[in-house]
Amino acid sequence: MDQLIAIGLPYVTIIIFVVGMGYRFRSWIKTPQPGKMTLFPAPPADKSLLWPVIKESLFFPKLFKADRSLWIASWIFHAMLALIILGHLRVFTGLFDRMLAGMGVNVENMSATAGGAAGIVILVCGLMLLFRRMLYKRVREITNFSDFFALLLVLAIIVTGDWMRFGEHFDLEITRTYFAQLFTFSFVGMTLPASGLFWTHFILVQLLIIYIPFSKILHFGGIFFTQTLIQKS
Amino acid sequence: MPKKERVDGERLRQEVIDAVKTIKNGPQVLKLYMEMCARCGTCAEQCPVYYGEPTKLRNPVLRSDLIRGIFKKNETWTGKILGALDGAGDFNGDMEQFVNSFYECTGCRRCATYCPFGIDNSVITRKGRAIADALGYTPASMQRVVDISLETCNTDGASPEAFKSAVEFLEEEMQDEHGIDIKIPVDVEGAEYFYVPPSGDVLVNPEATTGIAKVFHVLGMQDKWTMSSKCFDGANYGLFTGNDADMKADNKPYVEEAKRLGVKYMFMGECGHAYRIMKMMMEKGKWWGDLPFKVINCMEWTAEKIQAGMLEFDKSKNPMPVTYHDPCNFGRSCGIVEAPRVILNAACEDFREMYPNRGENWCCGGGGGLSAMDDIQEFRMNVSGRKKMEQVRDTNAKYLATACSNCKRQFMQLIEYHKADFQVGGVHDMLSRSIMIDGKAAEHIDYVGKMD
Repeated sequence: MDQLIAIGLPYVTIIIFVVGMGYRFRSWIKTPQPGKMTLFPAPPADKSLLWPVIKESLFFPKLFKADRSLWIASWIFHAMLALIILGHLRVFTGLFDRMLAGMGVNVENMSATAGGAAGIVILVCGLMLLFRRMLYKRVREITNFSDFFALLLVLAIIVTGDWMRFGEHFDLEITRTYFAQLFTFSFVGMTLPASGLFWTHFILVQLLIIYIPFSKILHFGGIFFTQTLIQKS
Repeated sequence: MPKKERVDGERLRQEVIDAVKTIKNGPQVLKLYMEMCARCGTCAEQCPVYYGEPTKLRNPVLRSDLIRGIFKKNETWTGKILGALDGAGDFNGDMEQFVNSFYECTGCRRCATYCPFGIDNSVITRKGRAIADALGYTPASMQRVVDISLETCNTDGASPEAFKSAVEFLEEEMQDEHGIDIKIPVDVEGAEYFYVPPSGDVLVNPEATTGIAKVFHVLGMQDKWTMSSKCFDGANYGLFTGNDADMKADNKPYVEEAKRLGVKYMFMGECGHAYRIMKMMMEKGKWWGDLPFKVINCMEWTAEKIQAGMLEFDKSKNPMPVTYHDPCNFGRSCGIVEAPRVILNAACEDFREMYPNRGENWCCGGGGGLSAMDDIQEFRMNVSGRKKMEQVRDTNAKYLATACSNCKRQFMQLIEYHKADFQVGGVHDMLSRSIMIDGKAAEHIDYVGKMD
């Protein structure tokens, strides 16, 4: 059973995510749109939409104008998420470490400081989003169980992640070996990390990744479609 | 006179569900809106209706959920598995609630301006109204306007004779104002510009039309334009009932009339949704193929002439503080925001903005055709129009200009209901009162008062 989850689940997760998102993207691209939905102010018809759409998806300027406190919570939340995903690439591969060490950076210190800070900040922002859902009438009355579920899942992932960073000693080397083996399909004599905390964290992450194509979290892909639709003049 | 048979009972339930299910085949925007709302509540704060009275059903997200819930239940995995936990649920059979809700959204698109994903609830509203329409549930007050317009080509049901005598009256008034003949040509084949106002700008607040006539006169183009005694009302309520077939049927005579007259320009008047349909939908969407004419707007045209220094004004004729209300269809949906300001700044001594404005302006509360529905007047006065009244009062303006007959009607009722102290009218109205012809502006006559 342990083996099945440790070795099988990651592949299942990746397949479901890629196929699921692929299916979504395909269905959006293939769905016809008779007539434009231009919302002004919009860039002129002969201008590329690339920059406006990038700007919208990186900085959320519409939200900035509409609701400053939500913008602070959600923008920092997403920015920290991006930073943390980058940081995790370091776990998967030693390449980053070698590059940074080559540049004379103390990898462990930097990771502990930046990663640790990001882990705390994202927890605070996540809690702000959660309390906001409960606090304001206009948000509370539109909140379903699935909205809480998505948030709580993310928060559980953050908490277990922070725990590993700040709590018990975490064996980076064995985790790294495990992922290297997963990437290279070397299942014989696989070494599995022993930490229960790690497994909780990792399985929750996979649950989240599986859930994305079926839930509103797919907005990270959909935003490119809706933005281009309403900015086309 | 309802056109369609009302469907009810189990068949009604099934037809609503089936209609929602077709969203999976498009349009693309609607499908995306079904799947990616993050339920952050940002739209609720930007919605004039929710601002007016924040009851649960007036939350834009929950209004859209009347359709989104059915879609989730039938077309998404999470909805099928989680059901109500994911906000999914089949149509509850309460058609009254369904119809009333979608006729409480003014379709102003302000939510789309602020939604981080650009979700435009007006698209969902129009779908809801289309579903109601197909099953015979369009409110009688709306259906009447559609039927009259399809029958007579104008929403007032006015005859060509009535139109012609109104135009003659306006010519006489201009004669009184300026002491010279200023023409409003009617049915002139071979003219270049075919002026299509909302019928209100001839029959109710006619100064916008005299303003246009004066501009053509000053430019020496009095024989270059024409109106049509058959097609003098660009208003098209098919947009508001969600019925595309009605919208196109209402539109077609205008395109044919423009072809018959052989004009170069379909010259749209101060009517936001009429211009949106002609320009953004009909012309861009090539409803009737390639056209021998171009759709343009009177405000942009006049503003160009002003900026070219071709018109002169006696601003002292308009000394009072004047503000401009951006009609949603001109501002957010067509991007015409600077032209009316150019005209008002040229024609008035004290033009002042209300805030926020342009693409961020608040709806008057009568958008989406609601202005024509007297059965929901209380709602328009106390709920949907509340924010707007606050906004106007903050400017201390004594004249509110706006380029939309529906907005004007809503404002006139708001003024009376809330005993507010300002007048409402069009943009070219201000121009009409202060434009100089042969070195002098008009001796002002209060048309509105006179016609009452």
